[in-house]
Amino acid sequence: CKKDFLDHPSENNPTLDTYYNTAAQVQKATGYLYNSVWYDYQDKAFHAIGETLAGNMLTETGPNYGSGSYNLFTVLSTDPLVTSCWRSLYKVAGTATVLINTFQQKKGTATEAGYLDQGIAEARFMRGAAYFTITRSFGDVPIITDPVTIAAAGPHTVPRYLQKDVLQFALEDFRYAEQNLPAIPTEKGRVSKYSAAGMMAKLYLYRKDYDSAKMAAMEVINSGNYDLYPNYEEMFTSSKANNNIESLFALQWIAEGGYGFANPIQVYSSPSTLLKPVVKTGYSSVYPTLDMLAAYDPDDNRRKWSVMEHGFKRADWTNVNFPNGFEYDTTGKVYEDATHFKNGTRSNALKYIVGTGTNGEKLSDNGSSDICTYILRYADVLLIYAEAVLGTSASTADASALDAFNKVHTRGNNFNGVKLTSLTKDIILHERRVEFAFEGDYWFDIQRQGFEKAKAIITAQERGTLSDNGTINHARANFNSPSQLFLPIPQPETVSDPKLNEPPVAYY
Amino acid sequence: FAQTKTISGIISDQNGVPLEKATIKAKGGQRYATSDANGQFRLAIPQNTSVLEISYVGMKPMDVSIEGKQSVLVTLNVTESKLNEVVVIGYGTARRSDVSTAVSSIKAKDLKDLPVAGIDQALQGKVAGVSITNNSGQPGGGVSIRVRGITSVNGNEPLYVIDGVPILSNTKSIAHDQLGGKAGQVDQSVMATLNPADIASIDILKDASAQAIYGSLAANGVVLITTKRGKSGEGRLTYDVYHGWQSVPKLLPVMNLRQYAEYYNSLVPEIRAAGNSVDTIGELKDPSLLGNGTNWQKELFQTGQIDNHQLAFSGGQAKTTYYFSLNYFNQTGTIIGSKFNRYASRFSIDQQVKSWLKAGISANLSRSNQRITLTDGVETPTAIVLYNSPATPVKGSDGKYITSANFGGTSLGNANGNPIATALLRDVRAVQSKGYGNIYADLQFSKYLSLRNEVNFDYQLNENSAFQPYYLNEATGQAVMAPSKLREDRNTNFYWGLRNYLTYNQSFGKHAVNAVVGHEAQASHWDNKWITVTNLEQNLQSTSAGTVVPAQTSGKKGDWSMESYFARATYTYDNRYSISGSIRRDGASSFGPNNRIGYFSAGSAGWTVTNEKFARDWKFIDYLKLRVGAGSVGNQNSPIQNAYSTNIRLFTVAPFGPGGVPANVGNPDLSWESVTTYNGGVDLSFLKKRVELSVDVYKKITTNMILSIVPPMFLGLDPNPPKNDYKEIEPAVTNAGEMTNTGVDISLTTYNIQRNDFSWKTSIVFSRYKNLLVRLNSPTALLKGAEQDFTQDGSVVNITQAGRAVGSFYGYVTDGLFRDMNELNNGTDWGLAVGPQGVYLGDIRYKDISGPDGKPDNKIGSEDVTFIGDPNPSFTYGITNSFTFKGFDFSFFLQGVQGTRIFNWTRKYTEGMTSIYLNQSTDVISRYTTANPQASIPRYNQWNNNNTRNSDRYIENGSYLRVQNISLGYNFPARWISKAKMANARLYLSAQNVYTFTKYTGYDPEIGSFDKNVLSQNVDNGHYPNPRTITIGANIEF
Repeated sequence: CKKDFLDHPSENNPTLDTYYNTAAQVQKATGYLYNSVWYDYQDKAFHAIGETLAGNMLTETGPNYGSGSYNLFTVLSTDPLVTSCWRSLYKVAGTATVLINTFQQKKGTATEAGYLDQGIAEARFMRGAAYFTITRSFGDVPIITDPVTIAAAGPHTVPRYLQKDVLQFALEDFRYAEQNLPAIPTEKGRVSKYSAAGMMAKLYLYRKDYDSAKMAAMEVINSGNYDLYPNYEEMFTSSKANNNIESLFALQWIAEGGYGFANPIQVYSSPSTLLKPVVKTGYSSVYPTLDMLAAYDPDDNRRKWSVMEHGFKRADWTNVNFPNGFEYDTTGKVYEDATHFKNGTRSNALKYIVGTGTNGEKLSDNGSSDICTYILRYADVLLIYAEAVLGTSASTADASALDAFNKVHTRGNNFNGVKLTSLTKDIILHERRVEFAFEGDYWFDIQRQGFEKAKAIITAQERGTLSDNGTINHARANFNSPSQLFLPIPQPETVSDPKLNEPPVAYY
Repeated sequence: FAQTKTISGIISDQNGVPLEKATIKAKGGQRYATSDANGQFRLAIPQNTSVLEISYVGMKPMDVSIEGKQSVLVTLNVTESKLNEVVVIGYGTARRSDVSTAVSSIKAKDLKDLPVAGIDQALQGKVAGVSITNNSGQPGGGVSIRVRGITSVNGNEPLYVIDGVPILSNTKSIAHDQLGGKAGQVDQSVMATLNPADIASIDILKDASAQAIYGSLAANGVVLITTKRGKSGEGRLTYDVYHGWQSVPKLLPVMNLRQYAEYYNSLVPEIRAAGNSVDTIGELKDPSLLGNGTNWQKELFQTGQIDNHQLAFSGGQAKTTYYFSLNYFNQTGTIIGSKFNRYASRFSIDQQVKSWLKAGISANLSRSNQRITLTDGVETPTAIVLYNSPATPVKGSDGKYITSANFGGTSLGNANGNPIATALLRDVRAVQSKGYGNIYADLQFSKYLSLRNEVNFDYQLNENSAFQPYYLNEATGQAVMAPSKLREDRNTNFYWGLRNYLTYNQSFGKHAVNAVVGHEAQASHWDNKWITVTNLEQNLQSTSAGTVVPAQTSGKKGDWSMESYFARATYTYDNRYSISGSIRRDGASSFGPNNRIGYFSAGSAGWTVTNEKFARDWKFIDYLKLRVGAGSVGNQNSPIQNAYSTNIRLFTVAPFGPGGVPANVGNPDLSWESVTTYNGGVDLSFLKKRVELSVDVYKKITTNMILSIVPPMFLGLDPNPPKNDYKEIEPAVTNAGEMTNTGVDISLTTYNIQRNDFSWKTSIVFSRYKNLLVRLNSPTALLKGAEQDFTQDGSVVNITQAGRAVGSFYGYVTDGLFRDMNELNNGTDWGLAVGPQGVYLGDIRYKDISGPDGKPDNKIGSEDVTFIGDPNPSFTYGITNSFTFKGFDFSFFLQGVQGTRIFNWTRKYTEGMTSIYLNQSTDVISRYTTANPQASIPRYNQWNNNNTRNSDRYIENGSYLRVQNISLGYNFPARWISKAKMANARLYLSAQNVYTFTKYTGYDPEIGSFDKNVLSQNVDNGHYPNPRTITIGANIEF
């Protein structure tokens, strides 16, 4: 045979030797970090951790959501969502890290390295965002900067690092991004230097470093590049609002990608009357708690902008049973039929529900959508600013803090435009709860209050459901140990790396 | 005083060779004589003697009429004896008595009357050292063949070579998750596309000294299949037919509606006592008014039918022989919707063109069509039928499928899908069209030297599809199945091989030499295209009727090639000593330029003790041969393509447009996996060759396994390589690790009775191996089995780690139930708070095995999980008894597996007691309650997962002894059938999988591996049980 008889390089793809030699190749690679790598976190863990632990939502008792253990705070290390959260977030971090290291290597051979630096900055932003979420979910965790070498060489015994060091690690990634990303992103939806500054502000606030939080938030505010989106409901129910002026960092979903690429929230959280005749989903697996519903002030329009309750109507959402527009009707005799739906709190979250596709929204074959998931909104930056100004004081009437707060509070003439004149920690925390309800964030707000305050908040919450005749079947969380502030390390990981069972060590 | 007469004669074998020491005896008398070296004898016998009985060791005894004769010429035929077999050894054949390696052979007639789709299933329990497990009862479903244990953590399926054509393609169907939900098993049988009736014999190369001639393809053993060819003489026409009925041997005891109603009613106060409220259901309040409700298992299972027709023509004139056959096989499974059919044809022609040239061609064409039911996983119909509510009907009053039904304000039934609708409406299919065969020419240069040239080809087209309709129940306004979706895959695979080898074969007095030297080049090209469309107009099953889903529409292709040189030489001295050696050099495109070439060599020696002078007078032992061998073979199967380079995975669907990210971490030094075997064997025949015994002991050492590193998830690379469902970056594929198998194979055949009108033969095979994983790439590295849960990694059941057997079970160790508060409040942290919603009376207590510093720490947590069972068998065995009596033949075949453990995941559904709305096993009636505090089954617990943690609660003994086949046949007498111009006619009745003796509580202790993966063995999670089959059939020959 000829000498090349045995040569069969891949016919389906280039190899690393011949790739990442143009700005476009690098940029498209970092674009990948906004989507499917986050999917397993977004899919269910997002709600189970960010909302259910926080008492904003109830999860169904089936095995999909850990058999209701998030409602009751009885989460075990074998829980599937513990694993999928861990795996997905480390996948974001790992993929970003491989890209960072690959681009670093390519810098040695590239003639013009600017696009590689920008690629590195964007990937570091993502890695920071991943670690920030990992450490708020699990506390003390491993930090990995060279996964390829560790994987190949083994053993895979890496210790856990103290949470403060993990936060510092994330912070440094954000800082690098802040220094190297452009002020205006190259494409709509990508992160800018202010996205990084905003994440820094959020991280500083979590660390109770109020001065730094204030400065970072100010940097974003002073840029003038961001503002609140006027229509709160539309922001969460239409992909037309994707990457609007309020969005600093959002996960970018693609309906036509289907499972793993599209936003699945409405598959799980919408009522079956909406989606079941169309795509056989709408499981209502996760829905608002009675406590959450009660948290809305009577004058707060965000309740109707964020929640479907009896009487809710959308003319542009139709299906075979609602040819003239969807109605949310809880008056049925049974849990569900074609036109009635009656879950444990007679409500479903409206955020990230885009409907049946009859208004032009793109849906995947299971009903997943295009709508972006907000990770950092300008409203968050404003409230961070207000809270940072308040700092450790009991209250504040600082004009800039009030201005930032009230901007959020009275958006769309909410509260009839009536502004607050004094802020306390509890007011801001409550504002955050209703402003960011169902956005996967409130648990971290409770967590950063510390165990005693968290316990007071959690154990006071009503986590029960309504019986058939409308009386409340009360339920309370079993929250009694500081260790419950964080999820257990998933058991499959402690099997691979027994060091994870040992006390954490310092990274820096 | 009777008068005598003298009779003389010559005794010879079928080849005309005179037989010395044959015994000639007057029937009914005492006198006898023995033949001399020329086969001649003289015997004085009583005048009235009319029949002589002639016998010879190793030959069939014969009665000869001497009426009116002075002398007789008698030809004796060889009895069935393994020693006389011709064994296919790869690139040639050898007589069994000359073989010094470990080769097992089996003839077609030992596999008859088995109603199986593929020959692989038929070998179960028939060959020592070869364990065969049906991985599913699915028609055409996957079968695992392991030659001498587990060779590697990679694939373990042997190389199949059919008449010289290696069958390299695999058979995977589209995973059901392409339609939503879970994937289920997708690895189907490789052999089901081939008609087993065309097979004449099977030879299995078990040790490296035999396998080395196949080099880098042989690590898992080589199965050489020889098909039937024509014989000179009058043409033969055979017609074989059977029809069978298949059923599930057992249903699991889940509650009927009355029992469920009682269970529900009894749970209401239990749940309320724990601080939760639950509604009573009016319809269930008086169970005595209720019927049995829906028996979901009965709705899912059915009586399957199996039909087989085979027509074969063969024959030939002096220089030409031919064989051709047609086969139709059709099977409907015991689970509704599953089925398999096959059309197959084969032909071969062999022609002696010149005195020095023989040439021939053979070709097989087949088409099989398999419809695959979703099994093996959570949310499969097989799992849902066990817990779906008996209160919910399959269909509504309008005859349309429903998912759940309402009782008061409560909805019962599986809202996410009706298992019967899923099984029947979803159409997941694998259609395979296959053509393979070869053309050869044998050139005989001299009496001793010949050259064989072969061109082999194999073309396969797999048309896989997965379809589900949109199904709306108008009455409820809810979709039972949505949206409509169709995925179609087209995989083509073309293989060619060109092979030339010289054979030299000569004897000089006591010396005999056989040598082979050759060259082989082979290559394959595969091409794979798939398209997915949704929202099909009017549910039309066509890709043109819907909208294309871009993310699920793509294609791939690839090439593989290999070039080899090989040589083998065997030298025999005086039929006493023989030695054999072989070497092969392989170059394969699987590796990068650094490490493309591999050498594989082997040697073996045999000593036939009974051919020594000193053994001539041995009375007891007729034949004794000792064999030793050693050799090395390789494996080149990398779990990912082009693993030697860092490939960029191109993506098209992404928020900022198409691009590429690294797909894997390349390893330019990736190279061969190596398997070294040491083998020692004894072949023994004694009691006048009535007993034949073969014993082989071996040690097999696998090193440099081609190993996908399995990193912890926190590295952010794919933690489940090479599955890569979530498109993470694949860690490097390396050569690492070591695994050993030590074992013994025993094969014993006894010819208990051998008379003309009655014979009884017993064959026993026994296989035992001990598998030990010495190391992976690092001391703590581990490999995980397939997911069993809703998520990828939430529940690890099988773990493969150094120092243990492959695929060991892993979980907590139970320590009874909590029965009083002191046990709960003894200072141990049970992982959950003590209380009705936490860990409480009636919950399972787990053993505190370890802690952060390796010692018990009074805390139940992740440190306390440990190895809780080994799914690998201690030994396997098969016992076949066959009898013939006049025209009748009868066989009785037992097969067993001893010492396995099964993780009965199904009991997590049926005894989990996590939701009041799910049906459960009848066992939960006797669960722990305050009124029944001595129960062994834990309490109902909807508040946490304490009781359903993976633990030894679910580990069961998987040993079994199965009456695998009983068969009774009758050959019609020639005088009856000759009128119909038949040469032979046989009618038979056979029963397969008749009864299983086992302690296992699931459907069937034969679970096997998920998708043939040794890392995921014996987990019973919605499994498709093997059917029981009653068959009636006929073999007719004209």
